[in-house]
Amino acid sequence: MSIEVLEVLKKTFADPGRQVKEWKQDTGGKAIGFLLTEVPEELIHAAGFFPFGICGGRARLEQAEAHLQSWACSYVRKGLAMAINGELDFLDGIIVPLTCDSTRLLPGIWKHNKPLPYMDSYRLPKQVERPSAKKYLFKELERIKYNLSAYRGKEITDEELKQSIRLYNSNRGLLRKLYNIHEHNPEAISNKDLYTVLGASMVIEREKLNRYLSELVATLEEQTKPPAGKKKTKLYISGTFINPPEVLDYLDESGGTVVGDDLKNGYRYIQDDVEEAGISPLESLVNRQLKKKPFAGYDVPSAPRRYNLVKASQQKKAQGVLFLHLKYCEPENYDYYDNLQALEQAGIPSMRIETEFGDTSLGQLQTRIHAFMEMVGGESNV
Amino acid sequence: MSEKKTFKTAARMKEIMQEYYAKGAAAKEKRIPVAWVTAIFPVELLYAAGIFPYYPENFGALASARKVADKLSRYAEAKGYAHDLCGYARCGIGDAYAEEHPVGEILKPDVTFCCNTQCGSLSKWFEVASRFYNVPYFLLDAPQILDQPEELATGYYVDQLKEMIAFLEEITGKPFDYDRLLEVLHLSNETCRLWNEILDTAAMKPAPFGFFDACFHMAPIVTMRGTREAVEYYQALKEEVDERIKEGKYAIPNERFKIYFDHIPLWPKLRWFSELFASHNSLVAVSQYTHSWAYSFDLERPLESLAENYTEEFVNRSFEHRLQLKMNFFRKYGVDGFVLFSNRSCKPTSLGLYDKRSVLSERTGLPGVVFDADMSDLRFFSEAQILARLEPFFEQLASSQ
Ligand code: SF4
Repeated sequence: MSIEVLEVLKKTFADPGRQVKEWKQDTGGKAIGFLLTEVPEELIHAAGFFPFGICGGRARLEQAEAHLQSWACSYVRKGLAMAINGELDFLDGIIVPLTCDSTRLLPGIWKHNKPLPYMDSYRLPKQVERPSAKKYLFKELERIKYNLSAYRGKEITDEELKQSIRLYNSNRGLLRKLYNIHEHNPEAISNKDLYTVLGASMVIEREKLNRYLSELVATLEEQTKPPAGKKKTKLYISGTFINPPEVLDYLDESGGTVVGDDLKNGYRYIQDDVEEAGISPLESLVNRQLKKKPFAGYDVPSAPRRYNLVKASQQKKAQGVLFLHLKYCEPENYDYYDNLQALEQAGIPSMRIETEFGDTSLGQLQTRIHAFMEMVGGESNV
Repeated sequence: MSEKKTFKTAARMKEIMQEYYAKGAAAKEKRIPVAWVTAIFPVELLYAAGIFPYYPENFGALASARKVADKLSRYAEAKGYAHDLCGYARCGIGDAYAEEHPVGEILKPDVTFCCNTQCGSLSKWFEVASRFYNVPYFLLDAPQILDQPEELATGYYVDQLKEMIAFLEEITGKPFDYDRLLEVLHLSNETCRLWNEILDTAAMKPAPFGFFDACFHMAPIVTMRGTREAVEYYQALKEEVDERIKEGKYAIPNERFKIYFDHIPLWPKLRWFSELFASHNSLVAVSQYTHSWAYSFDLERPLESLAENYTEEFVNRSFEHRLQLKMNFFRKYGVDGFVLFSNRSCKPTSLGLYDKRSVLSERTGLPGVVFDADMSDLRFFSEAQILARLEPFFEQLASSQ
């Protein structure tokens, strides 16, 4: 089945910089990049800038070698390499969320090697259950809003922010619908296509995205016939990023279907909406951040990550969990053993795979995924 | 290390550290809560609340210095913890699962307190520990200072100190003793003042005291500031250093060059390094690391002052600010060159050093070098590789004079 908008989104994902460059040419506007995860993009959008999610590109990791140790994770090395090789030259600015030590140190190194007119960091709180967090976060978002306003030379109004929030909520809602369609009927949209659309959604004009997604969801809802043939093996993916995208091909070809994930370029990106009514829009952004599920960046004592993982896997009736970790991602590694223990206690099988942006042996990856699928789903899958 | 033997105070060090560990063991018996804390943490509040603070990082440094970090680490690695996590964390987590305890068992916490000014490794490690020992975890969250210190971050920290005090009252069942806090802060001030006076003598030429001496004598400033014992210890050390100055006893025999070193030493190779530098007539005089404990608390505004001191550490500052701090040290100590240790264990002190090496040389004209290894784990140590970096540096130094 070939759906036109799906093809457009696939093309966008394959060449992430194309749309933003066109947009800049047409509008004379500015683009602000951001690293994953947590950056309140709505603020960037409300200022009239093009929010561009940085998540892998063509640059070789060696291009960052002289500036970042090889034992920093490949996500930050790749980002820096892309900046250095000119692949991100369309960016006027960048916001880095300080989720770990590597992201905490990255902005200074970036600025030294490739200064941009606008550079900021998002210092999300690492404890979210005490009252101090809320008060602090409000001020931190106010600061970012102020800096963005200053950069464009005009204050971001509440009305602008509300509009952006509405648009983003709508996009997230549509993406969740898409995810849901995939979950219940993987024939309608494959693993690979689902995450391709998610990836595209970070690098496309958000108004356009809204139209594309509405069309895509409507078409899929209309066209979709009840699933035919063999049942697929349901998997939950936990970790950092869907990377490399080939992982999804290997799942598709071995009869696996992703029913849930907690990844930065996966469900975490679309999970939480921002309240539209009542309180000030900035306060709504604060609340969204604080109610988010914990991730490797910090745990929440009253609702620990490992139990969320077990609960989500059970709710989705996942037959197994695939840990997709980025090598040298410290926070993820610290969580792993306890996550594993929790899954084992719940009787859920799992496997961990470590990958790197731009440097993963695909053959081995394929073999391991096939073997795992066989183990959790039975032989019929492969 | 020759200097280690010649300081009389060294014997006292052994004693007070033993007393400290004994107190920890006794706390367990007396049901005094044992709290895990991090090195850069407002421990003064814990002393004021009558809680025993224990420093797992110190346990890690000890295991590293005794060359058993890899042994302990392997127990953690067997569970899936990567060998490139912070060496201290691997020692701590490893010891929890270990069947052998080559440096004694880590003291089990009743509660863990972490401040993330230093790094994100500590908060993840302490989360792990709190799950393992099934005890509460309390984080003092210190947002990075982007440019200049701002009320936004210090105000947040003060709010959290108040939350922590309420939490301490809950643990101890007693109202928090603010008068006692002032006493403890005063003792901390004294300890830090003495410690920094001692460190400053490394600027004399020749100097009676250097970085490797500081590494040996730093345990009390880390683990005991806020106590009378720490003040007395550094008083004794200060006297001894002053005597050395009078007697003309120096840290190395023929001091010709002064070196700045970033940051943490390679604990299992401390002696090897000190001898290597000495053999090139180079005194490692200063490091941002040993200078981290330079607090000065304002007793008129204790909480605000705690917040400022503990969030404004170098490791929580920007790339440019950290360059400035280094260059200040270069000037103050009159250094002739600098050596930067890119430490696999410790990203917050290491990432950025590659660029900083060239910037520092450009701005100061001083020779400098950066090398890779690990502060605890000899599996990442290659003598040949390090010498290949350092020998040309020493040649450059020699020819620069
Ligand atoms: S050595 Fe570095 S990573 Fe380890 S606890 Fe200390 S500051 Fe954190």
